[in-house]
Amino acid sequence: MLNGFTQELQRIFQGIFGKGKPSSKDTAKNRIQLALICDKLEISEDILKNLQMDIVEVISRYFEIDTQAIKLDISKAEGKSALVVNTPILAAKRQPLPRPEPIKAPRAKGR
Amino acid sequence: MNGKVIVITSGKGGVGKTTATASIGAALALEGKQVAVVDMDIGLRNLDVVMGLENRIVFNVVDAIKGKCKIKQAAIKDRRIDSLYLFPASQSDNKDVLTPDSMVRFCKELRKEFDYILLDCPAGIERGFENSVAPADEALVICTPEVSSVRDADRVIGLLLSKSITPRLIVNRIIPEMVERGDMLSHQDVVDVLSIELIGLVEMDDQVVIATNTGISPVLQKGSKAGEAFKRIAQRLNGRKDIPIEVPQVNKSIWKKIGQKLGLG
Repeated sequence: MLNGFTQELQRIFQGIFGKGKPSSKDTAKNRIQLALICDKLEISEDILKNLQMDIVEVISRYFEIDTQAIKLDISKAEGKSALVVNTPILAAKRQPLPRPEPIKAPRAKGR
Repeated sequence: MNGKVIVITSGKGGVGKTTATASIGAALALEGKQVAVVDMDIGLRNLDVVMGLENRIVFNVVDAIKGKCKIKQAAIKDRRIDSLYLFPASQSDNKDVLTPDSMVRFCKELRKEFDYILLDCPAGIERGFENSVAPADEALVICTPEVSSVRDADRVIGLLLSKSITPRLIVNRIIPEMVERGDMLSHQDVVDVLSIELIGLVEMDDQVVIATNTGISPVLQKGSKAGEAFKRIAQRLNGRKDIPIEVPQVNKSIWKKIGQKLGLG
């Protein structure tokens, strides 16, 4: 009972003198939200492979490329991520191949 | 009968999966349903001790799946609740002895005999998780209001969604005093982060420790707040949409009540 009373007193004083430190739960919430964003930027090998195949398909419509030498990376710096595709171009195609039908189902499911 | 298979999972260990499985199973059985609870933690079984049935194990779920015994022989009837049965895990094998396909086939048989089949998923997202999720129609994700637990829950939710299962959330071990003080994530914070449907909130409860000590379900302990919360979760699982989700409240002392009356709270 006394414990409750002292807690109330603390609260009243906090009210009078303004809020001190931010509560630890706010810190927790911010940390978890940031952690989840970082977690989701880590993309699995499978998804990366699928993406690479799709990109090869698209680029091949316009250029002749060495499909074996293509490299795909996600580089991270200063909290930002970039998708880097690196491919040697062997030759440009005069007439780009026609665009295929839009893909209906996504190949890899994600959130 | 065409029973429903529900997996109880969390990613992180030690957040209350086994207690939740045993309690929800007991509560569903008290509602008059035929319930099977299956310990999927092959090699590290615990559901049997939580339910106080560790002395009665003869055959286990691996024996039943591998055909070393009949399915009925592996089922252990609860000591107190008639329509509740446990399928214990094997203690000597590892998770690789089962496959997702074998679990689907096993659950197909169980569906004929039971209304609900609850699978107590092991921690982690490896083979044991795959085995537990493969046969599931529904999933309950359980987490505590802590950063590590919420993060793992998010990962597991992602994996379940990719398998076309939309899980529902239980927030376990809420300490209302700490939430009020701002020193614990509130259930709302957890729901904000995970953005899935809530099915129940369970308060931190000493009775759960006592229940585990004695092997008597908290659902059968009078005045157990966690037991009551699990009962409501079971009712909601059972389709009772009218049961509201109760938020654990601080037991107000007289000083606080006076404080609030005076507009200081």
